[in-house]
Amino acid sequence: MAEHFRGELPRFLRILAAPAGFLPLGPALTMAVRRFARRKPAVFDRLGEYGKCSFLIEPSDLDVSFLMVPDGVRAEVKCLRRRASQTADVTVRGPLLVLLGLLDGTFDGDALFFNRAISVSGRTDALVALRNSIEDAELTPADFVGATGSLGKLVDRSVIGGLGLARRFTGSPIPGEPS
Amino acid sequence: MSLELVCPAGTPSALRAAVEAGAHSVYCGFRDETNARNFPGLNFSPDELVEGVRFAHAHGTKVLVAINTFAKAGAMDAWKAALANAEKAGADAVILADLAVLDHAATHHPNLRLHLSVQAAAATPEAIAFYADTFGVKRIVMPRVLSVEEIAKLNAAINVETEAFVFGGLCPMTEGRCSLSSYATGKSPNLTGVCSPPEHVAYTEDKNGTATRLNGFTIDRFGAGEQAGYPTLCKGRFVAGGKTFYLFEDPVSLNAASLIAALAKAGVTALKIEGRQRGKGYVAEVVRTFRAAVEAIDAGGTEVEVGRLLSGLVEGGRQTSGAYKKTWR
Repeated sequence: MAEHFRGELPRFLRILAAPAGFLPLGPALTMAVRRFARRKPAVFDRLGEYGKCSFLIEPSDLDVSFLMVPDGVRAEVKCLRRRASQTADVTVRGPLLVLLGLLDGTFDGDALFFNRAISVSGRTDALVALRNSIEDAELTPADFVGATGSLGKLVDRSVIGGLGLARRFTGSPIPGEPS
Repeated sequence: MSLELVCPAGTPSALRAAVEAGAHSVYCGFRDETNARNFPGLNFSPDELVEGVRFAHAHGTKVLVAINTFAKAGAMDAWKAALANAEKAGADAVILADLAVLDHAATHHPNLRLHLSVQAAAATPEAIAFYADTFGVKRIVMPRVLSVEEIAKLNAAINVETEAFVFGGLCPMTEGRCSLSSYATGKSPNLTGVCSPPEHVAYTEDKNGTATRLNGFTIDRFGAGEQAGYPTLCKGRFVAGGKTFYLFEDPVSLNAASLIAALAKAGVTALKIEGRQRGKGYVAEVVRTFRAAVEAIDAGGTEVEVGRLLSGLVEGGRQTSGAYKKTWR
């Protein structure tokens, strides 16, 4: 059943993003998560046994999805171009900009669920553990690219500002306001 | 004196968010069964609490530690350790419900300020006097079954502070005495700190929408675009008398912002925001909004439109003043 969520990327941006499926996003994201695990091991302690679970993240507005096993310095992220046959312990589906907002704490996961801005299935305990661990991680865009110092601040300002504009442009849910 | 705003923090980052958003006090718990939000990945280690208290105190905010589940017979070590760790961290108070834990705290940690959790369901002057006289309890978190008028009468009859919930998830049952989660899963907020433990919750989608299952029992089904609630039995939809409806209570959040002035007049000392299981986005937004609402009332200004400002964060997309106005079904 095809689901449509509020805040999805417009068609021309989806077309522009299509080549992303051919980029080596999986290895790059794997390196980023492992680098983050070395810098902030407490985040993965909080995740505990659930670090070995598989999480399928499906942006509803892209033709790629991401399969992640967030096992600290042994973490793996795979970028998949076909999502139909993939199974995982947990699946989370929603617009890319909303999913990114969960990563940096812009959005409250429960509120997105109440408002049906995302859909979830699979092991709810693993999803709750991941959500709480990410919540406490205070992830920033600089964490993903490994930038620190003033370069890191510049990356954060630019990306967060850009995402804010993009969310307004696409009509994403605004924290505190009804969908 | 202004009303004290007591705000939730499920993680250290949520604590910082609450403090920076203007919380007068923050409440939190340890990462185990000693508190009523024992969810995977949530809560504080003893070291994190030390750091959290340091941060909060540096900003003039108090930290209250919830140790509010009921201790297991013959296995009280976790509750004893939680009390010791709370005192060691410099907590400003502990929030307790169990008689054994209250007795241990009063006997072995006489310098800890004791608050009575909503889980103790103390709603009469007699019960409250017992806790105050026996253990030295200084504040009661009131069960969410009292109207504003009843709270005013209660405050006139007791000599301890009272704290009232004003926003967030709402238990329609009497806290500490609900067995619905135990009935379906064998675990409850009272003993293990979890209502509808997530390992028993599953969402499945089909052409009719999304079904919520709790340990195999289907407790709700909602169509595409229909607002959802927490997967608890008390907010489930069932067939009774030939009708399918929310039998106990609709998925709805408490919002008593319009009653802040009335609660202050009724003698309430502190206003509590529910939501230690929520993200820091929720915490920051709700705390900031309620701080503005409290300050506006202090200043004699106009009421802040809390309901409109926070409507996107509430369960089921709806808000209620709950028992404060006694308009429940």
